[in-house]
Parts: sequence; C-alpha cells; structure tokens
Amino acid sequence: MPCEHYKNALIEAAAGGLDPGGELRAHLDACASCRAAFEQEQSLFASIDAGLHVTANAEVPASLLPRVRAGLDEAAAPQRRWFQPWVFAAASVALVLAIFLFARPHHSGPDDQAKQTPQIPVSEPPTTDAHNQNSVPSTQIVSSNVNNSQRRGRSTLLRAVASSQPEVLVPADEREAFARLVATLQGRGDVAVALVTPSSDAKGEPASLKRLQIDPLEVKPLQGTQSEESDGAENMR
Amino acid sequence: MQELVLVQPGRTVGNELEHEAAQADTRREFEERLAECGPLAYRVARGVLRNTADAEDVAQEALLRAYRRFERLRDRNRFRAWLVRIAFRLALDRLRSGKRRELRDTLWSQPEHQPRAATAEDVAASNEFQAHLESALDELPEKLRLVLLLAAMEGHTIDEIAAMLSISTGTVKSRIFYARRQLAEKLRCHANTIKTR
Repeated sequence: MPCEHYKNALIEAAAGGLDPGGELRAHLDACASCRAAFEQEQSLFASIDAGLHVTANAEVPASLLPRVRAGLDEAAAPQRRWFQPWVFAAASVALVLAIFLFARPHHSGPDDQAKQTPQIPVSEPPTTDAHNQNSVPSTQIVSSNVNNSQRRGRSTLLRAVASSQPEVLVPADEREAFARLVATLQGRGDVAVALVTPSSDAKGEPASLKRLQIDPLEVKPLQGTQSEESDGAENMR
Repeated sequence: MQELVLVQPGRTVGNELEHEAAQADTRREFEERLAECGPLAYRVARGVLRNTADAEDVAQEALLRAYRRFERLRDRNRFRAWLVRIAFRLALDRLRSGKRRELRDTLWSQPEHQPRAATAEDVAASNEFQAHLESALDELPEKLRLVLLLAAMEGHTIDEIAAMLSISTGTVKSRIFYARRQLAEKLRCHANTIKTR
C-alpha cells in the first residue's frame, strides 16, 4: 500500500508521463511501497497507451477506398436519374403542345408562319420585317377583332413555347460537336444567318445539275481497210 | 442501332458542360484527399465502434457525406477536422442505435476480429485487458474520447490535434491527461486482477 499522503501525487506523475521530482522523488527513493505502487501505475499507463495505439491504428481494409470510389460514382448517378424523367416529361409536354398547335385549324398568314419557325437567338436583318409587312395581304390587316384576338392569344402561346428551351435529338457521339455548333452560332449571328439564308444564285429554284454535252458520234471507215480490200480483189484475179 | 440523346442546346452549352467540368474538378480535388483521409475516417470510426465492418461502413458514409458537401466547405484546409467530426458523429450514432450491436458482439467474439496484442507476452491477458480498455473508452465523455483517439493515432502531434479541433494545445493536453486518468481508474482493478493470476 502506498502512503496516503503521496498516493495522488504519484498517480498524477504516472498519468502525466513525467519523472517525479522534488519531494515525491525523495519519498520514492526512501519508500519501497510507494516505489512499487508508482511502477505499477507506470505499467498501467503504458498498457493503456499500448492498447490505445492498437485501437487507434487499426489496419485499414483494402476494400474501403474502392467502395468509396464506387459510392462517388453512384453519388453522381442519382442526379442523372432524377434529371432524365424530368427532361422526358418536359419533352412530352412540349411535343403534345406542338401537335395541338399545328393540328388546330387556322388561317395562317406569312406573319404567323414567321412566328412558328424555330428561333435561333440571333438578330434578324432589318429587311426581313419590311418584307413581311409588304407581303401581308391588305384583307388580313383589316381583319375583324375576333381574328386579331385569336392571333394575339395564339402568338402569346407560341412565344411561350419558343421561349422554353428547345430540345433536340442528336446521336450520342455527336453531342459535344452539336454543343460546339450551338455555342458558335450564339456567338456568331452572321454565321447563323448565313446558314439559314438560301443562296442568292438559286433564286428559289431547286438546284439542278447541268446536263453533260456529248458530241454525236461520227463513224468513218478506216482508210487502210479500203486498200486492203482492193489488194485482195486484185490477188483473186 | 445508333443511340440518340436528348439535349437542350440552350442549357447544354452554358450550364451542363460547365456543371460537369465543376463536378470533375470537385471529384479530382476530393480524390486527392481521399487516400490520406480515408484511413483517418476509418480509424476514428474504428476507435468508437471497435468493429471492422461497422467502422468501414461508417467511414464510407462519412466520406460520401463529406463529398456531397465538399463544395460548401470554404476552407479546404479544414477538411481533415471536418471529416473527423463527421466520422466521429456517425460512429457515435451507429453505436447508440444498437441495431447491429448483437452482430457486432458476435463478430467481436470471433478470433479474426480480436484486436492484436500490444506485446507478444501473455496474449490472453492482453486481449482481456484490451477488451476492458475499449469498454472503458466507450464510457469516456465524447470530447475526451476523440482527443485521446487522435493523440493515439500515428502522425498526430498535439499542435495538429489542436488545429484540427480548433482548441488550444493546453486544452488538448488537459483532455488527454484527464482521459488517461479516467481510463486508469476504470482499469486499475482489471490490471491488478490480471497481474495477480
């Protein structure tokens, strides 16, 4: 049994991992019982430290990191799973709406047709508007209020459809190329206009191939053949 | 048959590619930390749970949770501390849930899941002491337990633990001191019993 007076001091010295000094050191040198108790405490703390070292430095299973990497791949996947139905739902709604709008009987003028064409975010040349205004027949300009209101409502609907993001089906391996094309078109309005504007040479007529001109074939008898024939006739004689 | 994909040109260019690039950057940055911090998360969980399978599950969950919130972490230098806290918290939750306690105890009793002895001498006594030690560790207050585990892990200095847990070095030292003393009080009788056999 250690001396009661030094008991706490020697436990704290052992817990702190320090060499006892001063009065405690002198007492330990003199008291065999306290020295034995102190050694026992030191041994206990050494065992605790060794056990903690084992617990805290356990070997990491080799499967941990591959499992985490697989989990990281899966963590990215749910976003796509969530995204896909949403896209298809939106595409379905857009498709149904488009069918409804195009199948609905109405008198479509050139103005309406211009609104229904797929819109590319570029500024159109100013001549287009002037051309459209000129081409609208005068009977439609003075049409009734009912027609105007119908057209207004329809154009609002069309504008709503056109303002939503259009969706396009492209081959999977051409997705990036398509994205680059769209990026280029958004940055270069002139390229977009050039792509959709018909060639001025064609003048609205379908392109045709120029016919191949072949000179008539002239068949002439060979000059040598005549003399050979005459030679043969002479020999027969 | 050729595979077709549905794309939105307006979205694809501006948002989706940028989003994918940002995700790839996040993934790369996270994976750079994974090799170093994966074992840390496992060992913290293992120190709490004392079971390899549970600790692996918790470490995986902690790492995935950290990945999902990685973009929100402003100071990436705090990643280790952040991960340690996540792993420690998840391990405590798992320990408390008790759902797998039976299975854990069953596995624990199997020889391959027994902790390795610190020394070769008196293996049976060491294993028994180890079991008592880990039980005593469970009873420590959380703050003391985490600091003690981190201090016992290889490669962690007092300064690093203080920085990791945003506490002073003095606090780290005092927590280690009190934790060891509490463990000693719980284990003194067991150590004496083992020695007197």
